Amino acid sequence: MEKITREETGYGIISGEERFLSKISQLELTDDELVEMYSTMCAIRRFEIEADKLYAMGKVHGTMHLSAGQEAVAVGTWRAVRRDDYFLNNHRGHGHFIARGSDINLMMAEFLGKETGYCRGRGGSMHIADVETNNLGANGVVGGGISLAVGVGLALKLRQDEHIVVVVFGDGAANQGILHESLNMSAIWKLPVLFICENNHYGMSMEVRRSVARLPIAQRADGYGIPWKYIDGNDVLAVLETMRIASEYVRSRQGPMFVEAETYRYFGHSKSDRNLYRTKDEIESWRQKDPIVRFRRELVVAKIMTEEQAEQIDQEAQAVIDETVRFAEASPEPEVSSVTDYVYA
Amino acid sequence: MPIEVIMPKFDMDQEKATVIEWVKKEGDQVEYGEGLLTVETDKVAIEVPSPASGRLVRISAKPKEVVPVAKVIAYILGKGESIDDLPAEVKEVEGGESSDRAFHKGTITAPAREEPEISKGARTKASPVAARMAKSMGIDMQQVMTSGERITKADVRKYVQQAYVKESPGKKPATPAARHLSKEMGIDLNVVAGSGPSGRVQASDVMEYAHSLEIKTIQPAAGGQKREAELIPLEGIRRTIAERMQASFHDIPHIALIIEVDVSNLEELRSRLNEAANHEYKNNISITALLVRLTAETLRRHPYLNSSLLDETIRLWKDINIGVATAIPGGLIVPVIRNADQKPLNKINEELIDLVERARKNRLSLDEVKGGTFTISNLGMYGVTQFRAIINPPESAILAVGKVVRKLVVTDERDSLAIRPMMCLTLSADHRVVDGVRAAEFLRDLGMAIESPAVMLKQVREG
Amino acid sequence: MTEMTYAEAIRAALREEMQRDARVFLLGEDIGRYGGAFGVTFGLLDEFGDQRVIETPISESAIVGAAAGAAMAGMRPVAEIMFMDFILHGMEQLVNQAAKVRFMFGGKATVPMVIRMPGGSGTGAAAQHSQSLESLLAHIPGIKVVNPSSPYDAKGLLLSSIRDLNPVMFVEHKLLYKTRGEVPDNEYTIPLGVAEVKRKGKDITVVAGNIMVPRTLIVAERLAKEGIEVEVIDPRTLRPLDLDTIVNSVRKTGRLLVVHEAPLTGGWGGEVAASVASSPAFAYLDAPIRRLAGKDIPIPYNRNLERAAVPQEEDIDREIRMMAQNKY
Repeated sequence: MEKITREETGYGIISGEERFLSKISQLELTDDELVEMYSTMCAIRRFEIEADKLYAMGKVHGTMHLSAGQEAVAVGTWRAVRRDDYFLNNHRGHGHFIARGSDINLMMAEFLGKETGYCRGRGGSMHIADVETNNLGANGVVGGGISLAVGVGLALKLRQDEHIVVVVFGDGAANQGILHESLNMSAIWKLPVLFICENNHYGMSMEVRRSVARLPIAQRADGYGIPWKYIDGNDVLAVLETMRIASEYVRSRQGPMFVEAETYRYFGHSKSDRNLYRTKDEIESWRQKDPIVRFRRELVVAKIMTEEQAEQIDQEAQAVIDETVRFAEASPEPEVSSVTDYVYA
Repeated sequence: MPIEVIMPKFDMDQEKATVIEWVKKEGDQVEYGEGLLTVETDKVAIEVPSPASGRLVRISAKPKEVVPVAKVIAYILGKGESIDDLPAEVKEVEGGESSDRAFHKGTITAPAREEPEISKGARTKASPVAARMAKSMGIDMQQVMTSGERITKADVRKYVQQAYVKESPGKKPATPAARHLSKEMGIDLNVVAGSGPSGRVQASDVMEYAHSLEIKTIQPAAGGQKREAELIPLEGIRRTIAERMQASFHDIPHIALIIEVDVSNLEELRSRLNEAANHEYKNNISITALLVRLTAETLRRHPYLNSSLLDETIRLWKDINIGVATAIPGGLIVPVIRNADQKPLNKINEELIDLVERARKNRLSLDEVKGGTFTISNLGMYGVTQFRAIINPPESAILAVGKVVRKLVVTDERDSLAIRPMMCLTLSADHRVVDGVRAAEFLRDLGMAIESPAVMLKQVREG
Repeated sequence: MTEMTYAEAIRAALREEMQRDARVFLLGEDIGRYGGAFGVTFGLLDEFGDQRVIETPISESAIVGAAAGAAMAGMRPVAEIMFMDFILHGMEQLVNQAAKVRFMFGGKATVPMVIRMPGGSGTGAAAQHSQSLESLLAHIPGIKVVNPSSPYDAKGLLLSSIRDLNPVMFVEHKLLYKTRGEVPDNEYTIPLGVAEVKRKGKDITVVAGNIMVPRTLIVAERLAKEGIEVEVIDPRTLRPLDLDTIVNSVRKTGRLLVVHEAPLTGGWGGEVAASVASSPAFAYLDAPIRRLAGKDIPIPYNRNLERAAVPQEEDIDREIRMMAQNKY
C-alpha cells in the first residue's frame, strides 16, 4: 500500500540540540513555558497511572480509557489553540482535559462518581464535560462528537464568533460514516472546525493498517477539499507548531482543517484489554520514543532545566495527584433520591 | 514504605480471580511491570504486573486460591526496607494474611450467593425468600408442599393460588366499576345477575339490582315541583351510621345521668406532668387521654358498665377497650384504645393522637375500630356544655363530656365561694343491663377519680 | 382569526419565531428554494436568507448531530427531516447524544433543538416512506415528542417546542398538511404535556393520535345521534403524556379506547393502557381497555392494502360500538 511518510509532509522528527533550540526560538517559547509544558505532560502521565491504580483497587466503577503515551498531542494542542475555543472529545481524553486546564479535582471526583465531579457523578470517565469553559464533553460513542462539532462550527459561523471548535477522535473513528458526512458538511459551509485524529495505531484491538483502506488517514480530507497535515504526535513541539498553523487557518474562516498526529498508547484500550493483539516488544519499542522522556532529555541537554529539577517536577506532579485522590475520596456521593434529576431542562 | 501487591480488577464486572501460579517467589528481586503471578478470571488467564521494583515478600495467595479483587496478596520491600517495616498484623501471622482492603462503598457488589437454606430442625427447609413471603401472608410453612429439597418462592405462590381457588370457587366475574359500586352500596355481588360477556357483572347491573331493592336515593319532589337541594345519597359511612344509630335508639332503653366535676386538680396534674416530662414525651398529655385512663380504671370496679347484652346474655368483658368518638369528613368513627386500664398514660396519649390523625385520613384498620367496650364522646372543644349521646352498640354505656366552664361554686360546708373549672359529664346507659343505682355509683366514682386524679394514677409512664 | 392549512400554520410559527429570536435557524434538505418536500418552508428563504434557512446535503446523521451541537452552543435550530423514516439515520445522534447530554453532564448543559418530520401513510409512498415511529421516540428519556392534529395545535405547539429547552421531536402527518382550521392572529402558545378534550362525552373515552383525531370526531358525531356519547381526547404531546386528563375522563366514562396509526405491538397505546390500568381510574373501568392501531406490518404499496393497514373511520366506528355494547 502506498504510504505517504511524515517527512514528505515537511514535519519531521526534531533531533539534535541545535534543531531543538532553533525550533524553540522560532516558536517563541520561553523557558517557563517549556518547563510548564513538561510539567503538564508529567501531570497527565501521573494522572493516568493513578487512575489505573484506582481502577485496579476496585474504586472506579465501569471502565476507563487511558491515554498514557499520548501526552504530547494534548499538551502541544492546547498550547496552540485558545483555551476557550470549543472542544469535543472522544473517550480517551483525560490528557486533553488536563492540558486544557480542567480542574483535576473535579475530574477525579467524576471518576469516582461523586457529586462534586464535573458531571455530578452522572457521566463518569467517558462523559466528562465542562460546558462553562466551552468543553462540550467526552463521548462514549466512537465518532459521537464529530457531528456535534459541525453543529458548533455552524453556530460559531452564524454568530460570527471568532472562536473555533476542536474535535479530537481516534483512528477507529475515521471509519465511521459520520466522519465523512461531517467533513463534507463542514467543507461546503467553510465551518471553523479543526479535526484532530490521534492515530495511536489501534482501534480497540485492530491495527490501523488492517482497518484503514489508505494511509495516512488524513489524506481522506483531500476528498473533501480540506487541507491536512500528518505529523509525529510524540514530538510536542511539532504538535504545537502544526496546531498553531491549523488553528490560525481555521480561525481565519477559510474552512476546516484536518491534522493527523501519530502516537501510541501504553495501556490497553480499556480496562478489559489483555493486550493480546500486540507484543511486549512493540510496546517496548514505543517506550523508547516516549514523548515525555524525549522532551525531558532535550530540555536538560539544552540546559533549560536540570535533571534534578525534572525529577522534582515529576514528584510534585505526583503530589498534586495524591491530593486530588484525597479530595475525590472525601467527596460525597450523589443522593439516591436525586436519581431522576437533570433529565429535562 | 513497603508497597502492597493487590489482586487487581481487570473486567468491569469482575469480583475475584483464581491464582494459577507464582512466576516469582518469596524473596525474589522484581522490577516494576514485571510479571509476578498468573491468575484466571471468568474470561481468561492474565499476568499480574509488579507495581514497583524491590524484593517480593509475604506472598499470601496460593495456587488454586480464589482471591477477591483488591485483596493484598504480597508486599514489595524497597531499598533499605525489611520485614520489620511491614504492618504489624502481617508480620506476626505466618504467610501474612493481611487485612482486607476491599473498598466497599457500592463499587464492589457482593458476590452472588445461592439462597442459603434455613433449617428448622426436622421440618422442611425453606429459602429465606419463601419464608419471608409466607410470613407476610400469614401462611403456615408446614402447609406448603414442595417437590424439591426445600420450599421455594414458587411453592409458596402455588399454595396461595390454590388456597384462593378453594376459598372462592368460580369467583364471580365483574368489572372493577361493578365491584366498586357494590362495595359502596353494600350489595353482595353474588346475587347480581351479570349482563356482560360470560355473565360478567357490569356497573349498570349493580345499579339495576340496587333499584330493584328499592334502596332509594333522595328523589326530587314528584309532581314537577322543583325545590333546590343538594342531593346526597345515603351510602357508605353515612348509611352505616344512620342504621346503627337508629338501631341503638330503637332497641336500647337509654337512661341518662349527669354530674358536674371540678377539674382543677385534673388540670393541675396535667400541667405538672407535661412540665416534668417536657423533653421525654413527643406530645403534651391531653385531657381526653387522662379521661380515658381514669374512666378505664373506674370501669374496673363497675363491670356492668363495661358489658354487652348479646343473645339474651350479659357479657361482662374482661378487657376494657375505650372507644373515643372522632369526627371525620363525612361522619363519625370510633377508634378504640385497647386495655386502657393497663396502659401507661403516655402510651394512651400517643395512641390517641395517632388514631385520631389516621382516622381523619381514613387510614384506620378494621381492628382499630372493633372491640370497644365503652365509648367516650367529647364535644367540649366546640363549646357544648352538656349533651346526651346515643350508646354505641353492642356496648352498654357512653360518656358524653362537655366543655370546662369556670363557675362560681360553693366549695365546702361553710358555704365558701370560689371560682372553679367545672366539667359536665353525662352518662347514657342501657337500662336493661345497668340500673340507675349502678350507673350512679359508677358516675360518682368517676367524678371522684377526676377530682383527685393523682391518687388514681399510680402509673404515669412505662418502666 | 384566519383560516389556514396545517402546513401554513407550521410555516407561520417558524416565521414568527425566526423574526422574534435571532438564534432560531432552519436546517434540512431542500428547504430553501424548493420550499421543503411538503412545501412547509416555502418562502422562508426569501424572507430570512441562506444563513437562517440552511440547506443540507443528504446527511441525516449529520443534520441531527449538527442540530444538537448548535443547540449545545447556544442556538435554537429547527431541523427538518424529510420523512420520519429517515430519522433512523440520525438515531445515534438523537438518542446517544442529544437525549443524554444534559443528564450525563449533571444538568450543566441544555440541547434546545427541534426536529420536525412528517410521518404516516395514505399517500402510496410505501414501506420506507410511510412509517409512524413516534412510539420509538416516545420511549427515550431526555427527549419530548409532540403530535399535533390541527393547524391551531400545530402552530401553538411548535412555538412552545422551539422555546422549550429540551430536544423536541415534532411529529407531523403527511395527510394533515392540507387540512384547514382557524388560527388566531395574535401570538399564542400551547404548553407541551397538556392534552385536550376535543369532544365531551359520558359513555366512552377515546384517546386518539394526530390523524386519528379528525377520524374519531367524525365517528363521534355520527354515534351521538344513536345515543352513544364519545369523549375524544387528543394527547397532543406523547412524551410527557398528560395522564391526568385521561384518567379523569376514564373515571367518568369507565371505558377506554386508544387509537393510533403506529403498529399495535409496542405502540404508545400500550403505554396509555397500562398507565390508566394502574391509576385510580382502575376501579371505575367497566370494560377492558382496548387499543385500535396499525397492523403489525410494513405499509403496503397497493391502495386498498394501504388503507386496510391502519384504522379508518369504519374501524373506529365498529370498535366503539362493540365496546359500548360490552361485547369485549
